[in-house]
Amino acid sequence: MTPADSPQFPATAVSAHALSQTVPTADGTLTILSEVGLAVQAGETLAITGASGSGKSTLLGLLAGLDHASAGEIVLLGERLGGLDEDARARLRAGRVGFVFQSFQLLPALTALENILLPLELAGRADARERALHWLDRVGLAARAGHTPRQLSGGEQQRVALARAFATDPEIVFADEPTGNLDADTGARIIDLLFELNASARTTLILVTHDDALASRCQRRLHLVAGRAQEVEFA
Amino acid sequence: MTFVRLGLWLLRRERASGEWRVLLLALVIGVGSVSTTGFLGDRIKRAMSEQGASFLGADLLVTSPRPIDTWPDHALQTSNALEFASMVSRGDAFQLGTLRAVDAVYPLRGEVRIADRPFEAGAPRPAQPPPGAVYVDQELLTLLNAAVGDSVQIGEATLRIAGVVVEEPGQLAGVFGFAPRVFMRADEVEATRVLQPGSRLTYLYQFAGEPEPLAAFGTTLKPQLETTQRMIGSRDGVETLRGAFANADHYLQLTALISLLLSVAAIAIAAHRHALRHYDQAALLRCMGATTAQLRTLYAVQLLTLGVLGSLAGVAVGALTQQALAGLILPEAVTRLPSLGTAPVGVAVISGLLALAGASLPALMRLIRVPPLRVLRRDLPPLPVAAWVSASISGSALLILIGWYAGDAKLVAIFVGALAALIGVLILLARLALVAGRGVQKISYGPVRFGLAQLLRHRFDSTLQLGAFTLALFLVALLALVRSDLIDGWRQQLPENAPNHFLVNIAPHQQAAVAAYLAEHRLEASEVYPMVRGRLVSKNGLPIADTLPPEARDTNTLRRELNLTWTTTLPANNVLLSGTWHGERSDPSAEISVESQMAERLNLALGDTLGFESGDQTITARITSIRSVKWESMQPNFFVIFSPGPLDALPASAIASVYVPPDATGVLPGFVKTFPGITILALDKLIANIEAVFAQIVAAIQLLLGFLLAAGMAVVVATLLASLDARQQEAVLLRTLGAQRAYLAKGLWSEFIALGVLAGLLASICAEIAMALIADRLFDLPVRLHPWLWLALPAAGALLVGASGWLTTRHITRVPPMQSIRALG
Repeated sequence: MTPADSPQFPATAVSAHALSQTVPTADGTLTILSEVGLAVQAGETLAITGASGSGKSTLLGLLAGLDHASAGEIVLLGERLGGLDEDARARLRAGRVGFVFQSFQLLPALTALENILLPLELAGRADARERALHWLDRVGLAARAGHTPRQLSGGEQQRVALARAFATDPEIVFADEPTGNLDADTGARIIDLLFELNASARTTLILVTHDDALASRCQRRLHLVAGRAQEVEFA
Repeated sequence: MTFVRLGLWLLRRERASGEWRVLLLALVIGVGSVSTTGFLGDRIKRAMSEQGASFLGADLLVTSPRPIDTWPDHALQTSNALEFASMVSRGDAFQLGTLRAVDAVYPLRGEVRIADRPFEAGAPRPAQPPPGAVYVDQELLTLLNAAVGDSVQIGEATLRIAGVVVEEPGQLAGVFGFAPRVFMRADEVEATRVLQPGSRLTYLYQFAGEPEPLAAFGTTLKPQLETTQRMIGSRDGVETLRGAFANADHYLQLTALISLLLSVAAIAIAAHRHALRHYDQAALLRCMGATTAQLRTLYAVQLLTLGVLGSLAGVAVGALTQQALAGLILPEAVTRLPSLGTAPVGVAVISGLLALAGASLPALMRLIRVPPLRVLRRDLPPLPVAAWVSASISGSALLILIGWYAGDAKLVAIFVGALAALIGVLILLARLALVAGRGVQKISYGPVRFGLAQLLRHRFDSTLQLGAFTLALFLVALLALVRSDLIDGWRQQLPENAPNHFLVNIAPHQQAAVAAYLAEHRLEASEVYPMVRGRLVSKNGLPIADTLPPEARDTNTLRRELNLTWTTTLPANNVLLSGTWHGERSDPSAEISVESQMAERLNLALGDTLGFESGDQTITARITSIRSVKWESMQPNFFVIFSPGPLDALPASAIASVYVPPDATGVLPGFVKTFPGITILALDKLIANIEAVFAQIVAAIQLLLGFLLAAGMAVVVATLLASLDARQQEAVLLRTLGAQRAYLAKGLWSEFIALGVLAGLLASICAEIAMALIADRLFDLPVRLHPWLWLALPAAGALLVGASGWLTTRHITRVPPMQSIRALG
């Protein structure tokens, strides 16, 4: 049995070594990330911070296996991503990785409940519907199960997205600016909910933010400046 | 959940989305049009093969213009009949009838239904009436104002009407027939004295029996038959008639194909928009762990489901439409056939799936190549699909479709070439029209200026919409023009007093009396031309077929007997093209004048010697002149005219044409009484019949053009939907900046009406050019313009494009800006 199949969390949920990302442009090669290294233990929370264009989202995408790195190595949930093709990385994510996005990314044609059902169905969970209802209840939207995203406010949409991210009991959740599209009050409530869900599920959480207050709630912080990492540890 | 179920689930949740609806609609239109023609063609084929033996009235039928005395040995059942045309009269009323003189056992297969009174269902009876009686068509009773029990005159015999013919074998043949049926006894033909030497007769020999002896008999008989004699098995008995429908069927199929191709354009646009709007969904699913193969399954299931649903709905539409069409173009004998065949369903569904695949696979291939990173960076496009892959998928699907419908490679090449040329011309015209539109836009103001600006800005969309709609309007207009123009034009070409009746079967001894009768009643008649039937068999001593390349041998001129005449004066509507007219010369070696097109077809030149067979005699003659003939002159016209002398010894009857003014029709009953054996063909009735058949076919095609217009509208709607998001953004911006709803609405109307008017104008130009070419090149009619077209087409375009455009986009002026901003994210 590989570590990835183990019911026990591997000691390191995700690690990166000498990670670089460059893109060719008309003016030559543009370096987005340079020699980044990190290791996040199972159950840990990490904030990736930095100014706009510092490479935060790129790093998140690479760690989650959504893109190929130009150089360096990533091990996600015990698997070396460098040796996996697009489809193998997709299979690795199925049911084990959750996502929360700045723009919520709910499917407009589906109801709140159906949006949560989607990853459960994809992962082939037999109790998909019960679990979806349970998670909708957890985020306080049991009464809005039949509403489509257009009928929900921004905060409500992000709560549905949180329920969707945690519904499959993932080992790791990636969140990209989860409060970026919300006002301060709503944002704060979403963050409370995110950390509460994360704590009770003992999930590894990696989030990208430029909000210091949010970053300070994570156990560790990785600050990026022009694609280079400067880790700031919190107690 | 499997991805099959997930695909269906997502499809169900998205069923209200615009692009699915357009895609489905386009598919229904395309499949509807091809299945309509499919059902129709199938129905005709089935009608013909199901009727099989009963259609012929026998298992094997031999027709001959002369009696056949010797047959191969056989033990089959036989029945003989004789068919000829003759006048049937009652008092002052008279009508040409198609008489069939039958024996007691006719028909061997199938049945004849005879009723005692008109409009009754009747009962199967032998077709041979009791002695001294006839059975007649319902139509003849009406025309002669007669009832069952009345007597009619046929030649010199007076016969009683004993019943009404309700149904007979081979009734399909009556579709284009114009002389009503009369059944009489074979042994009473003699007494009528209508048959003259040279009369046009058809001897019908029917055979029935077990398949094996029948086949053996057929094999032995075949080589013994002359070219004017035909053997028809119950299988191929309907071939001739099928030919009559084949052309119409071909036009219908090609019209349907154009609708299908327009639908493909609409589907492609809708599928492209669908893919664009689902990049985020696909990226999210990948992010959640869906692999490429799973996404492929998901979208393929959706596409297949839509394809099958759309095709089946199209088939249902087709089944209903063909019912309407069948009523228009098919005789009742066919429409009475109850069930629809299932073969066209398969063809239509496969056509639909092919069209859908060709139109939407390239878009869907991009969809499954969306990078998962798009969830974080929404500007990331999917990986491109190589242009040659998309082109070969769509191209081969279209080629298969075109090949399938057009039949042979030559027609496919012509169709693809014509289509490519037409598309090229349409794009060019559309671009030119848009350039002209820029001029109009500059001098316009307010919402109109805004609307025209929109039209010019979405140049690609506008060209596409303009092209599709112009094509639809052009084809509709062309068909309407062909129908009205050609018939009118032809009629106008006829001289004021063009002959309207032919007098046929004038016996030699009657010629002088007929001429005297006509002169006495001051009727303008043509010369009386003697006629001998003969078949062209040789040229310069060689069998004629051997002198021709194989592809030129299959011509009617060689298969049938020609009407040969002789005269000393060149007929009025003939023009000598080369050689010298034989005139009064009575050379011992016969001279002939040949019609120019026949000479060209058979590769004949001045000085060639031709051999003709008439009965058991052979006559040879040298070509001394070639002349052109104005066939539409309604005069007796001949391919071959002899110098006087050589044909004297052969049995001849004569023909003449005569103009009977509308107020002098009373002369004809007297003529029929005086000359009972002479057949009068009423040409105006014949023309009216041909026109009616033509009109039925055109009406059927026009109904199909409805599909074409609908497909054109689907293209307009699909392109508009594809630009809807951009338009909505513009509308939001304009409304935020203070534009009123009415301003935006007027702008939209201006845009669509301008588009419709432009399409109408372009279609008018195309239709005028096409009509000019058709009239000038094909029919030799004067070219004329159609001012009404230039009003009607732009008006129709404005109405149809305006309505479909407004219905598609109207809500963008109604939604409050804030709501639009939220919806657009």
